[in-house]
Amino acid sequence: MLKKNLDQLKLLIVIGILILVGQKVGFMVVDKEFSVAAALPGTILIIVVCLLSLMIKECLPNLKFPAFAWATMIGLILSMPFMPTAKAFLAYTNEVNFLSTTTPILAFAGISVGNKVQELKSMSWKIVLISLLVFTSTFFGSAIIAQIVLKLQGII
Amino acid sequence: MSKKELTENEIISMKGRLNVFIKLFITVLFIVIFSELIGVKKYSLGPGSVVLLPMLYAVIIGLIITPDILGKPLNFLRNLISNEEIELAGTMVMLALLPLGVKYGTLVGPNIVKVVQAGPAFLLQELGNLLTPVLALPLALLLGLRREAVGGTVSICREPTLGVIGERYGMNSPEGTGVLGTYMIGTVFGTIFFGLLGSFAVTSGLHPYALAMACGMGSGSMMTAASSSLSAAVSPEMKDTILAYAATSNMLTGVTGMYSVVFIALPFTNWYYTKLAPKFSKKGDK
Repeated sequence: MLKKNLDQLKLLIVIGILILVGQKVGFMVVDKEFSVAAALPGTILIIVVCLLSLMIKECLPNLKFPAFAWATMIGLILSMPFMPTAKAFLAYTNEVNFLSTTTPILAFAGISVGNKVQELKSMSWKIVLISLLVFTSTFFGSAIIAQIVLKLQGII
Repeated sequence: MSKKELTENEIISMKGRLNVFIKLFITVLFIVIFSELIGVKKYSLGPGSVVLLPMLYAVIIGLIITPDILGKPLNFLRNLISNEEIELAGTMVMLALLPLGVKYGTLVGPNIVKVVQAGPAFLLQELGNLLTPVLALPLALLLGLRREAVGGTVSICREPTLGVIGERYGMNSPEGTGVLGTYMIGTVFGTIFFGLLGSFAVTSGLHPYALAMACGMGSGSMMTAASSSLSAAVSPEMKDTILAYAATSNMLTGVTGMYSVVFIALPFTNWYYTKLAPKFSKKGDK
């Protein structure tokens, strides 16, 4: 294994720990049972898939397909109904709560934009207003078309 | 800042920089514990409801403890989170997104038949992104922006758009300033904004599944914020389909996003600009 991959693995393990701690606390708050031991195999499986997606991305630099998308793709393939891996993979990874994986990401994300606050202050209020309209119209533009097509297809 | 720029490989290497890692990880550990302790809160607001998730507190806490905000008056915070930790945090976001990516995969996989059936909707809703310049370009022109408006409203301005505009016009061009502006606002406030919009959008009367597809905009964190709060705002049996739709739509945008900007959105926005701009210029000159 390359040194880079080893470094990535170390960091992914830290992220795994952050997820498990977050899930423990989050479940405690709502009085739900959570055993770290039961979630450990799922966490390890997830970390292995993450590392794999980083390696695939590295091997195919011209494809411009982000590691995040590879991770989703591998997770998807392993859990399709007709795959022999589906039952076990889902049983283990379901022990890891979806929302618990999101909290560390956003904590890092918040910190990572910290040095852009000054730049942002120098930007005018106009760009804020425009951006908010950009976000809203991107969201509803897609939602309206999806609504029409799903209706035509009879799915909703 | 004055130190040499580190390469991506050097940022993730702990050799000689262990204290940077420890400071960042302990900080994030506390943010995570604190955010999870507050837990999910649901408030009704007017006709809809707003769902506040731990990730929302996490992004806000993370932002305010940085040197530009609370770090300025508080010395110990500045020692804890300095530019080195901020730089590492940027790389950590990319890595921390991966477990979530796997979880999304496990949501799409079992529902793969449903997702394929909805295929046409997934592909066509990408065209909905054209509504962005249609509405936002006139506003930008009205506010007095010129070519900046093209860069800032061509799309939701995530990384692929940044790349396309940067290559075509250069990052120092007016178009570059515009795209960077929307990109930065999205980076800083995107998750907060979509975390709130995701739950409130249910009041629009659009079906939660249609809204779910709209959550996939080519940004993992925005999609997560929007789809998680959307799924928390509707009945629980819709949750899995919502998350599966959002993840699939986001994955597709990852594949098609850059091409739709190059071949559809940017030519359209430029054409639209040449039509609209003369109407907005004060003396009627170009």
